[in-house]
Amino acid sequence: MRIGTARSSYRHDESLFDSRTQHAWLAVLAVALLGFPFFADEYWLYLACLVAINIASTTGLNILTGYTGLVSLGQAAFMGIGAYTVAALEQKLGTPVLLNLLAGGFVAMLGGLVVGLPSLRVKGLYLAIATIAASVVLHFVFANWHSVTGGHAGITVAPAEILGVSFDTSFRLYWLFVPITALMVLGAANLFRTRIGRAFIAIRDRDISAEVLGIPLLRYKLLSFGLSSFYAGVAGGMWAYFFRVVTPESFPLIMSIFFLAAVIVGGMGTILGAILGAVFMTMVPEALKLIVGWLPLSADATLILSPVRTIVFGALIVGFLVFEPLGLQEIWRRIRRFFHLWPFRA
Amino acid sequence: MRRTVLKSLLASAVLAATVGLPAAQAADKEIVIGGSIPMSGVFAFAGIGIHAGIQDYVKMTNDAGGIEGHMLRYVPEDSAYKVDQSVAAFKKITSQNKVNFYYGDSTAFSKTINPELDRAGSMIMSGASFATELNDPQKFPYQFIAGPDYTQQFGILLRYIAQQKPGAKVAFVYSDTEFGRDPIESSRGVAKELGLNVAIEIMTPPGAVDVSTEMAKLRRARADYTIFHGYILGPIPEFISQSRQLGLQTQFMGTFWTMDNSTVMQMGEAAEGFMGVMPYNYYYDDSAPAPMLEKIRSMRTEYQNVPYIQGFLSAMLYAESARRTLAAGQEMSAANLKAALNSIENFDTGGLIGVPISIRGNTIPVGRIYRADVQAKRMVPASDWIVLE
Repeated sequence: MRIGTARSSYRHDESLFDSRTQHAWLAVLAVALLGFPFFADEYWLYLACLVAINIASTTGLNILTGYTGLVSLGQAAFMGIGAYTVAALEQKLGTPVLLNLLAGGFVAMLGGLVVGLPSLRVKGLYLAIATIAASVVLHFVFANWHSVTGGHAGITVAPAEILGVSFDTSFRLYWLFVPITALMVLGAANLFRTRIGRAFIAIRDRDISAEVLGIPLLRYKLLSFGLSSFYAGVAGGMWAYFFRVVTPESFPLIMSIFFLAAVIVGGMGTILGAILGAVFMTMVPEALKLIVGWLPLSADATLILSPVRTIVFGALIVGFLVFEPLGLQEIWRRIRRFFHLWPFRA
Repeated sequence: MRRTVLKSLLASAVLAATVGLPAAQAADKEIVIGGSIPMSGVFAFAGIGIHAGIQDYVKMTNDAGGIEGHMLRYVPEDSAYKVDQSVAAFKKITSQNKVNFYYGDSTAFSKTINPELDRAGSMIMSGASFATELNDPQKFPYQFIAGPDYTQQFGILLRYIAQQKPGAKVAFVYSDTEFGRDPIESSRGVAKELGLNVAIEIMTPPGAVDVSTEMAKLRRARADYTIFHGYILGPIPEFISQSRQLGLQTQFMGTFWTMDNSTVMQMGEAAEGFMGVMPYNYYYDDSAPAPMLEKIRSMRTEYQNVPYIQGFLSAMLYAESARRTLAAGQEMSAANLKAALNSIENFDTGGLIGVPISIRGNTIPVGRIYRADVQAKRMVPASDWIVLE
């Protein structure tokens, strides 16, 4: 809590954002998000949409891994369920976009509930392997359930359309994805101020103690899997509307590792961590490309530097794990703390 | 240490924030070739060659004065063979340059970016994909393949087999991927039309190592020819060495991505006699006059792989369609560029392909069968050029 924000009522005590400074910065963020599409070109809008999708999915995985302590490597497969649900509904029934996205979330949630069952008996690496196995099974279903998924060729998705407006450019999709992601992040932030969220944290800290405290492990672990998969499903649905082609190869295992890395790099068990982690994992490869592009080098040097860039990206991740195990959110917290007293204390 | 990390982060953020400014617009008298090129990642072996091929053709053309007074400019970006990064590269390049031609790195990218190409209506695209699905001018009006699609590659192989041994028994061995499955269904009919008997179809998991079960099936089928598709190298050497141990009499064959000289020679002794289809002449081919290959050899003295030739030919076809469009005094729109491309009939590639080419639909349905000569460490022609109608 920062200086000068003494809480004087229960309402104030329960508020998500409790200081005027926070409100002011949130207003700045909102203005920046609203103004961004009018200044950014197609490339930056594309990246903004991609970041929004990745934040939604990373936040979902953070609920499961960061807050409940259940390691999952199935996030990409759950995104696949959402993406295929949206693609199939769009192609076969032409149902409204928001309904499709919700359906994508709920179908993925069902998948998550099934995959979550082993979490009662196994934890840690064993659970991670169980979720990989589930990913393999889902990949097989995506590739072979031809009547629904289109087999290996996949499904081509028509652009999202709401009230006659076709969301076929990154500019338009931005106005769809960013509010949805913002709602999902806000939902997750609020979740951990409820009994359910606190139960997740109790399970993460010590599941046996949580059970002794009266938290039904089956219900809450499955709920965590379900919620996480719901987030992945909606993110997958947005992915389907974004890339407009869904194939079994769209959601490989490496994508699940990407989200797990985002949770760890960002900071496990914090909402801001998931956001920063997703931004970092999506943007750093692009930022490195830009930096290499600025260097006064020949085209051949670009070729040589491409693998170097990959190594730098890997080294950055390892560097964060070694020097800041609490993740990017801890760095962010330190920056904030520094400015709380600045310029009175350096 | 933490301060240093903080400072570096802030510096990166400032750098990242300043990059939104678009680069200077392309000059009017310029033809821009953009490319999502896989210079890193699993497909880098091809991307590096493709990059060099396009780069060399652009340099060669500009050194000769350009096209109708227009200089070519090549703007590549590494895609790491990931669709999201390929699309990011596309968005970045197209938002900062007036792009006329684009090179894509994969089937997934070609399918993903197709609506963008249709909407932009200002550029045409080719790429590293030979997917049959892309050979549909209705669905992919602004794309083309600088060679035969996978079904046509199978067609060329099957036609050769039918000539060599009418009524032969053929086995298809393919990976369980979109790439692997691509030509299988359509090639059954082609084989039947040619009077061949598809004795067995064996699907393997991608990256399979142990193929003993599949080998047993192949042995029972007693196929005269076995065509591999959907692999770069593995598990082909394993199949060949096991079949040699079992004394199996079958001729193994491959398609484009297996057929680079260096890839085949990686099989070692197992490569001896391995055959396959290749739409281009190899870098070292001197069996017929090939001025363009000679130029390539003078520019680069070391062996250049077949993706290099593919990138080079793609750039040549971009240039030719631009030349025809400009010569006709037409606007450089996607429709005009594609129409100009499709007007290419009996075009001399300077020996990159051994016969004059015509672009039918979205492909160049031509190829030749080569055989591996391990002693010479070269692929040698085993047939004449086969042009599909």
